[in-house]
Amino acid sequence: MTGAGQDWSLQVRDLVKAFKEVRANDGISLTVEPGEVYGLLGPNGAGKSTLVKQVIGLLAPNSGSITLGPHDLVADPDAARQLCSYLPQAQMPIASFRSREAIDITGMIRGGDREAVARRRDELIEALDIGEWRDTMGAKLSGGVRRLVGFAMVTACPGRVVVLDEPTNDVDPLRRRLLWQEVRRLGDAGVAVLLVTHNVMEAEKAVDRLAVIDRGRLLAEGTPSSLKAEDRGRLRLQVMLTPRVETPDLPRFVQAHTRVGHNLMMVVAEAEAAHAIGWAQELVGLGLAEEYALGATTLEDVYIRLTGDVEGAGREGTA
Amino acid sequence: MTALAAPPGTTLRSGPGYWWDSYRMMLRWEMTSLRMVLVITVIVQIVSGAGFVLALGLFFGQVPPRAALFVSTGVLVVTLITIGLVLGPQLVAMQKAEKTYDFLWSLPVPRTTAALAWVTTNLVLGVPGMAVALGVALLRYDLALHVSWAIVPAVLLTLFTGTMVGYALAHSLGNPMLIAAITQMLIFVIIGFSPINFPAEQLPGWLAALHRWLPLAPMADTVRAGLTQGVVEEVTRSYLVLGAWAVAAVGVTSAVLGRRG
Repeated sequence: MTGAGQDWSLQVRDLVKAFKEVRANDGISLTVEPGEVYGLLGPNGAGKSTLVKQVIGLLAPNSGSITLGPHDLVADPDAARQLCSYLPQAQMPIASFRSREAIDITGMIRGGDREAVARRRDELIEALDIGEWRDTMGAKLSGGVRRLVGFAMVTACPGRVVVLDEPTNDVDPLRRRLLWQEVRRLGDAGVAVLLVTHNVMEAEKAVDRLAVIDRGRLLAEGTPSSLKAEDRGRLRLQVMLTPRVETPDLPRFVQAHTRVGHNLMMVVAEAEAAHAIGWAQELVGLGLAEEYALGATTLEDVYIRLTGDVEGAGREGTA
Repeated sequence: MTALAAPPGTTLRSGPGYWWDSYRMMLRWEMTSLRMVLVITVIVQIVSGAGFVLALGLFFGQVPPRAALFVSTGVLVVTLITIGLVLGPQLVAMQKAEKTYDFLWSLPVPRTTAALAWVTTNLVLGVPGMAVALGVALLRYDLALHVSWAIVPAVLLTLFTGTMVGYALAHSLGNPMLIAAITQMLIFVIIGFSPINFPAEQLPGWLAALHRWLPLAPMADTVRAGLTQGVVEEVTRSYLVLGAWAVAAVGVTSAVLGRRG
């Protein structure tokens, strides 16, 4: 709650968006509170970007509602654009802008006054450690730095909601950490951050709550720990298969599995840990696998269990 | 360590001040976006406009005064509208192909400010080429021009309509390849098959009749009427047809830009 008692949460209710026969969003409901970093997780084509494009007023739903404070964002897309900042998945069109110019102009387009935007621009450039490229033209920036400049552009004068679609793409590990700190600070300032990603490991550390979406439906929602709670008593067995080896017949104690490349990931009950190790050792002994690891389940396992998917390519699996 | 000056604003901006600030910032955005091609585009416009005028002399040797007058005034129109009708749609096609289109249309500005910023950019890009082409024509052909105040509304309406038709075309079509193909074709239509650089009588009857209702011939007529005397008949009709196209293009553009998929 901010201002004169107004609830500034972003509320999405029963949202349906169909493209011809395909229901890209099929009855999605969620709430993002001010100050909250909310993750939208899901495989490619799950309907995440379709959802956020309706929030920022670029797409209209077939049915359902989106409200932010007193504003109906479906009926009033102009309000949506003023109240929401958007960092799209694609790179920003700033080839002929110096980094600082791109940040300044976007900040002022978003309604910031010149001095305030300039102050915030300097702070962001320092916080993201991109001072070296302050006066560099966009065309000469690496993908990662361009991404960080894009983040600074949309948050130089942020809206009540900041939508970040895969913000860390191409960004180096050190600056990724800086970027997450800035995302956190947006939350601390009262911004509701809607973070779209399929990078589960990062999301686990960065978000307060998250929703897992697949085929247009919301499969689960909660804090990272609450989502993992269901997997208590389960372990993750990861086996690196020898190249060109088929997936071996799986023992009955394997509850779910997925394979990406040579990496075979399985969920097993804690009580079966000894059997699981024995079986994995046997595979290594037979030359079918190179190594294995047994550990606690992560959000990624929850994600795999819910969606039967990991980042697209080369997968097979059951959940 | 950063600190946002204050929690994000909750009041929506509106009114003339908001419109004017948005227009200024969008104009700055457009000009900066084109920075690397701005000078080269103006030079290309100047060279192609002046070159067209001079090339005609090389082609025919002795150019009849009426033909010289038509080409010299027609090429101004070509210079004015090629950016809006051809370059503009191609830039939009590129934004769609590179998927930067969504970001640009997520910016919180009134749609009219983005459109007018682009019209202004076209004015900055088109007018120098037009002026130089006219100067070269005067020197080369010793033209008898009668420049009147009517050239100002003629140039503005021609540029505005050309830009808005290109804008409507670019934003209505989803496929970037299709946009590029149509604009390529438009260049041929503008230069070779429109009564811009030559009188309509030289076209086949059916094409001349068609051009009475298309915007290209009225563009040439209104600009030519502002520079000559006794050459253009029915200039009021040309203004009306051109005005109708301007209104239609604005209507289509507003409908398309207001439409959400």
